[in-house]
Amino acid sequence: MNAFLKKHYKKAITLLGFLLLWQLVVTVFQMKVFILPSPLTVFAHLFAPEIATKYHWLNHIRTTLGEMVVSFSVTALLGVGVAVAITWSRFLRGIIMPIIALFNSLPKIALAPLFLLWFGFGMLPNIMIAVLIGFFPVVINTAAGLNAVEEDLLDLVRYLHASTFQVFLKIRLPNSLPYIFSGFKISATLCVVGAIVGEFIASTQGLGYLIKSSQGTMDTPPMFASLILISALGLSFFGMISLIERWVMPWQGTK
Amino acid sequence: MGKVVRKLKDHYQTSLVIFLFFVAWQLGVMFFKIPEFILPSPLAALDHLLFKQPDANYNWPLQIGTTLYEVIVSFCATSVIGIALAIVIAWSRTIHDLTLPLFIFVNSLPIIALAPIILLWFGYGILTNVLIAFLVSFFPIIINTATGLNAVDEDLLDLVRYLHASKWQIFFKIRLPNSLPYLFSGLKICSTMCVVGAIVGEFIASDRGLGYIIINSQYTMDTPPIFGALIVVSIIGVALFEVVSLLERLLMPWHRPESSPG
Repeated sequence: MNAFLKKHYKKAITLLGFLLLWQLVVTVFQMKVFILPSPLTVFAHLFAPEIATKYHWLNHIRTTLGEMVVSFSVTALLGVGVAVAITWSRFLRGIIMPIIALFNSLPKIALAPLFLLWFGFGMLPNIMIAVLIGFFPVVINTAAGLNAVEEDLLDLVRYLHASTFQVFLKIRLPNSLPYIFSGFKISATLCVVGAIVGEFIASTQGLGYLIKSSQGTMDTPPMFASLILISALGLSFFGMISLIERWVMPWQGTK
Repeated sequence: MGKVVRKLKDHYQTSLVIFLFFVAWQLGVMFFKIPEFILPSPLAALDHLLFKQPDANYNWPLQIGTTLYEVIVSFCATSVIGIALAIVIAWSRTIHDLTLPLFIFVNSLPIIALAPIILLWFGYGILTNVLIAFLVSFFPIIINTATGLNAVDEDLLDLVRYLHASKWQIFFKIRLPNSLPYLFSGLKICSTMCVVGAIVGEFIASDRGLGYIIINSQYTMDTPPIFGALIVVSIIGVALFEVVSLLERLLMPWHRPESSPG
């Protein structure tokens, strides 16, 4: 805990300084709320019961969190699965890799309205958008990790009559874990982005929807409050993956 | 020589598979008689892009020009401002230690969620989309460049200090060349992010541009222009990425870059 404090206190101080400056600027220049609300106003919209109930925060948080968790789980399972498949079979690699490369070079977020058209309003298109954006980094990182094995080591265990399956389970997989987790971390952020953009264009619920609809009514405090919540959700998601990473790979030094 | 042949063969295989993918799509749409409002065939999309009489909504040169303008302006702004700020940050150890963690923190946030706030402040139009694209792509370039400027071998610095090199000399002859690989990988990220930012901006705050076409055609369930716009957006993204790669090869002939966008 002490080490944690030591590592992060500078960040905390800068962040606190930023909030203080923001509050001061708003107070001193008497900025209108519809242009820039002060941090205190924003926090009041989040926590003061008489204002906060109006926005049904829990519902919106539940929707966005649900989209994030489901899309990330699908991304992780599917991504690692596809990566294992294309490492395993030359034939599949020949077919799937070019298509992955093709899609990966697309700005995938531009497909979002199409998903809305195909899957209708609601959580499903948002989840699909998030999966589409988050999927490729996991596949590419995992495949890279599975292939980044020392040739000498492979020669050695082949000489010792290791089966392909053993090579995979005891060498390739442990070796690829750091790559997989760095893919997971990229994908976690991208899943949040996907869910939010999905909610911008296709939703009646969720924090992204709240930001977009509050923009329509020029009600800025909930916009900033949603931003804070989204950031908190994204960060805790990221933190959880880091925790799992440390738990799965205790031999890796903490970064 | 063998290497070149293998590379050509790889390219040939990749192109073949992608070509077959589009053929399968075309045949699938024709064979299963998929209604156009669900999935148009690739030929229908191309036809719409190239041969339809432009009406007010699908004035392709105007839409493509708008998006291209946003992408280029935001990309230039991010690279110039990002690199300049990175140099300022890297110049002093104290500023570096204070600000870089904060930038890394901000970069891990979904910055695109700021888009509606930018829209509220700056109203509808191209400026808003440029700003959104700028914000989305700004942090990767600053973080990469600043990291590169500081990722210098300490022994080397000691050596040249011992030889009485000035701070300027160290900067231009050691730090800057050393940071180039980082800088270019930042620029590559940035080239993709600028397109994403411009498109999302157009989704929520525009009356023109390819993102606007996509979202607007979704309302009317007119799918061929959606795919037409997707084709053009992809070409813009890949082209920008390739320009950055080309610059990278020109400026760093000694370095072998990674070769796929994304």
